Amino acid sequence: MPMLSANNVSKSFGGIKAVDSCSIEVERGSITGLIGPNGSGKTTLFNIITGFYQLDEGTIVLEDKPIHGLKPNQIYHRGIGRTFQITRLFWKMTVLENMIVPVKQLGLATLMSQGVKNYEEEKAMELLEMVGLAKFRNEEARKLSFGQQKLIELAAVLMSDPAMILLDEPAGGVNPVMIEKMMDIVDELNQKGTTFLLVEHNMRLVMELCQHIIVLDHGQKIAEGEPAEIQNNPLVLEAYLGSTQNANASA
Amino acid sequence: MLKFFRSTPGLVAILFVVGLISPWVMPNQYYQHIIVMTLMAAVMASSWNIIGGYAGYTSLGHAAFFGLGGYLVAWTNTHYGWHPFISVWFLSLIVVAVALVMGWIALRTQGSAFVVVTIAIVFIFRLLALNLGSITNGANGMTQPRPGWGGAQWSPELFKIPFLYFFLVLLCLTIFASWWIRNSKFGLGLIAIREDEGKAESVGIDTMMYKVLAFGISAYFVAVAGGIYSYLFTYIEPGFVFDVFVSVTMVLMAILGGRGTLWGPVLGAFIMQPLSIWVVGAFGGSSIHLTVFGGILLLVMLFMPQGILPAVSESLNRRKQVQSPAQEAK
Amino acid sequence: MSLPSAHLFIQTLILGILVGGVYALMASGLTLIFGVMKVINVAHGAFLILGAYLTYLLFQWFKLDPIISIAITMPLFFLFGWLLQKYVFSRIESPEQTSVLVTFALALILEGLLGAIFQTTARSVTPSYSTATIILATYRIPVTRLAGFVTALVVLLILYYVLERTRLGRAVRATIQDPRAAQLVGVKISMVSAFTFALGVSTAAAGGSLLSMIYTFNPASQGDWVAKTLAIIVLGGMGSLPGALIASLILGVMEQLTAIIVTLYWSPIVFYVFLFLTLIVRPQGLMGEVIREKG
Repeated sequence: MPMLSANNVSKSFGGIKAVDSCSIEVERGSITGLIGPNGSGKTTLFNIITGFYQLDEGTIVLEDKPIHGLKPNQIYHRGIGRTFQITRLFWKMTVLENMIVPVKQLGLATLMSQGVKNYEEEKAMELLEMVGLAKFRNEEARKLSFGQQKLIELAAVLMSDPAMILLDEPAGGVNPVMIEKMMDIVDELNQKGTTFLLVEHNMRLVMELCQHIIVLDHGQKIAEGEPAEIQNNPLVLEAYLGSTQNANASA
Repeated sequence: MLKFFRSTPGLVAILFVVGLISPWVMPNQYYQHIIVMTLMAAVMASSWNIIGGYAGYTSLGHAAFFGLGGYLVAWTNTHYGWHPFISVWFLSLIVVAVALVMGWIALRTQGSAFVVVTIAIVFIFRLLALNLGSITNGANGMTQPRPGWGGAQWSPELFKIPFLYFFLVLLCLTIFASWWIRNSKFGLGLIAIREDEGKAESVGIDTMMYKVLAFGISAYFVAVAGGIYSYLFTYIEPGFVFDVFVSVTMVLMAILGGRGTLWGPVLGAFIMQPLSIWVVGAFGGSSIHLTVFGGILLLVMLFMPQGILPAVSESLNRRKQVQSPAQEAK
Repeated sequence: MSLPSAHLFIQTLILGILVGGVYALMASGLTLIFGVMKVINVAHGAFLILGAYLTYLLFQWFKLDPIISIAITMPLFFLFGWLLQKYVFSRIESPEQTSVLVTFALALILEGLLGAIFQTTARSVTPSYSTATIILATYRIPVTRLAGFVTALVVLLILYYVLERTRLGRAVRATIQDPRAAQLVGVKISMVSAFTFALGVSTAAAGGSLLSMIYTFNPASQGDWVAKTLAIIVLGGMGSLPGALIASLILGVMEQLTAIIVTLYWSPIVFYVFLFLTLIVRPQGLMGEVIREKG
């Protein structure tokens, strides 16, 4: 029984099918990779799972319960956290404030009370220590480096102890040292039981980190399996090479 | 001790004491009038700031809540003799209910579309007030009995003072509410919405609930102000209160002082309101005060859109950094 | 409330269409400016009233026919709009956020000045034919309305020609469709913005001239006209000219129908309710694209 499954999901934008009756499953406790050429529908699928887009057809099921049709904040409360392809933080807030913004399911009285933030500060500091950015707690988020911002985004997601985290290109545009750090953190969290679904172009990261890989092309699943299988799958090679050829032709 | 007077409760205490003494230092009716109107403006700008400043939704619809508060007070006072100083606190809850419904609909839109929707709200209420003549007396407006207590009217020399104290208490309450919200998790959520609404939603914030709630709360103090305003002038008419211009004054004061800051709207009101009373007085019945007001709004938007307080704190920060560069190596 | 007879219904329909044509002209500039610059020009109503006063003065001083005076007011407004864009609006940093307030400031400035000069007395321009009606197959048609309708159509056709056939006009349309692509093919945005704003303001001159002979007006009536024209462009889809035309006709007819079925006093509610509901239910309007959303 998979933890999360997307069943025959379709989504079109103005007649173009971004995701085309696609089905994927994520096992509990796994790190599952979602790869494919640019425009293959990975991020669209992410946005459907997290409630940012409404699907046209199909279902999304988390722990036996359908979650499609829920709003992003409701899905977050079901235990799915996410990061964005282009890192999104509250730029003018401090790092610490960024950590405190996320809410667990709180009653109105708690939201309106004064003490909560102090209580949460402790946990926020612990997480900042973990990602090694505690000393920047009072800096504005926009002043940090790109890689640091990615780490903050991940750390903030952890504030609510999500059972599953969707990472959209965690290594995109980040320097190698930072990529190592990111991989260590993901691995450590996974050891403790957090399930990951990640979109990534850095193949070394995907092959090293993921136990299971799903390949999308043109909105459809074309292959899935263990890293070794995927590396030798002719369909996958074709999808990537085909798309690079197209890219070259159109450039 | 000094620290207390620089904290928010300390500043509110100072404001309260100064306000309390002011009518005895300044017995002049005209000055008292200016103080009353300025306190009222500060209430409105601070209250508007909760949705417009913290959450970043520029509502031009708050004139509707101001007018509605005014009409409810006028109506219950003339028909049932409810004393506005007491009834207004409850009547304004009705306005909040209306605002919650309006907000629930209007807050589905964003950016300039939201501004336009809120303008439409004001126009709708004006038309209702004009045309439901059997309740509102239409364009002729409603008149209330002269202000007083227990059957006795307040004497003309002292009659501004109860109003001054009322608005003083109301302002302290409004600032306190705004401060409370700013320091709560709810307030942080509102600022998150202003910064990046989609991201806020992705970290579990029920953005719609937050926005609607903020809209409702910010309608409350504006409605109380409107209620007492109509009592002060003993007269209310649709064109007076259901006017987008009333909303724009709140916006301008908040922006001038610094929207999204706690004291910015108060500062903006303390500057703008005396100025605009003076301009109206100086140019008599002509409408040139609109031009002056519009001119100031234009200049503020062009040259200081972030407002006074943020500009000052930014320049202070810069100076501090120059004095002690790199306290903390990055 | 009473249902009108068939004859009254058709009579109302005719009046609604005639008035809708004039609305279309009034709203065209507003929607054009939004389409190119994403600026909601709340001062549009003040421009209309300014145009009406200018026409009024020309009529008082030189007995100039309001329709003919368009030939003078339009070029003047074009210049006015160009300068405004060049020296004021181009300085706004984040137009989406602040444009409404800046243009509101402009509206207040104009309303205040007009109020100081003309006071609040309601005025109107009364050429010799102002009370004349012609009877067409038993339907009474006021000459001013008909003349206004025809003039509006002519000006709109000229506008259409400018947008379709001139270089700048094509640049304007390209920018409405896709500003980035337009820039890539060499459209100079600052030039297009100035031209669009000037064009938009100049249509307000023509609209104002027609307004002056059909309606009474005072400086404060600018607010009502903003609301009306905003409702039209929102319903039609902000930035869409054909949409504005269709919405004008719909709202013109609805307004006239409300006036006879309910009362004249309630007729403006058509605009406010449509404005409100359109933005909620279908924010992109009849023909427009989705208004850009955050996030």
